[in-house]
Amino acid sequence: MPELIKHARSREAQAWLKKEIAEQKARYRKIEHEMNVTIAAQRDKWIEAFLERIQTRGYNVHFNMLRKIKPEEIPKRPKRKFKVVF
Amino acid sequence: MARPHIEPFVDRTVPFKKMTLPGFPKGMHYKMLSLDTDTGACSMTVMFESGYALPPGMSYSEMELFVMTGYIEMDGQRHGPGTYICLPAGVSLPAMKMPRGITGLLFYNYGEPSFVESDADHPLAERHKLIKVNAYDDLQWSATNFFPATAPGCMVKILKFDERTQAFTFMYCMTPNFWQDNISYHDCAEEAYHIWGTSWMMQFGELPTGGYFWRPPYINHGAFQCKLGTLAIGRTDSQLYNHFHFNPWTTADENRERAGARMLAWKPDLYKWVATGEHNHPADFEFPHAHFNEKGERIFQHHEGGDLDHKHK
Repeated sequence: MPELIKHARSREAQAWLKKEIAEQKARYRKIEHEMNVTIAAQRDKWIEAFLERIQTRGYNVHFNMLRKIKPEEIPKRPKRKFKVVF
Repeated sequence: MARPHIEPFVDRTVPFKKMTLPGFPKGMHYKMLSLDTDTGACSMTVMFESGYALPPGMSYSEMELFVMTGYIEMDGQRHGPGTYICLPAGVSLPAMKMPRGITGLLFYNYGEPSFVESDADHPLAERHKLIKVNAYDDLQWSATNFFPATAPGCMVKILKFDERTQAFTFMYCMTPNFWQDNISYHDCAEEAYHIWGTSWMMQFGELPTGGYFWRPPYINHGAFQCKLGTLAIGRTDSQLYNHFHFNPWTTADENRERAGARMLAWKPDLYKWVATGEHNHPADFEFPHAHFNEKGERIFQHHEGGDLDHKHK
């Protein structure tokens, strides 16, 4: 089952890959900061609204099956640092 | 696959670059969406200039192409928007022309992009796995058949399904005013590109047209909303299972541990067998040839001989 046929990677391909990896690192850092820092306060509000909706309209268990979550089931935010991009 | 978590990324914010890799004729441009830093496997938005032409040829890696605008002339036929081609490694495609150019998505699944001029298949090529379909015209929408399932209003068209890994490529849509109030994660990596439309996820905000993500396994995503509808392409690297929950603050490690605990509850006998001794290298009697080492050499395993009851010391 050759999903990849064995071949020697050319010098040009090595150089191309190196450049792309460097650019991806920079792209990742920008995204990571934007998601984990810049919009963190906005996301806290979205989470608050979500936790409210699943107690009133319901939580999607499967397809159109909804279950209203009881107040005592609502998770508490842990003290550790919160991030969404890993 | 060693790709970092790229989410969200909008390709409209970056310019096209010229493809300079050997083998590719001039006139191909790309935007890198994500890249496996070990293998060079990658996902790209691509643009081929008007009049672009490719001789008959093959790729060393399995490759998938989805046409968003324009058309390809191949074998005397026009292949327009919605065309999806999955080209197994080493399978030769006939000459192609793009008289007015095209834009599309190009995925190299197991190695860096390559094009080798050839009008014959490589000896190892598996031509029976070649897929050519128009996702817009030839396939109809269906509900997702996962359990538990996404909420009503999210529909799919399956473009490719790998029998061994259950990885699949699919087109999906979300209807206007779609919503799903849960948080999901999967055991597989997941990737998607918005052909048209904007959707929202509680962790990452809005993903517009041209929006993309590559998400490694066990990362929370959702709740979900979509005001006006969305059309997108999605892919996984193995079986997709929706692990739903409603705790926004769990980590990927906690999610993986929960998935393991669930596996123990769902398949206790298999879980125990795999977890015992050295059984974490099971062979599949339907795909025994799938066992290769990093050098591409076949690895023989005692399990293939039917010796399933042996003990490890």
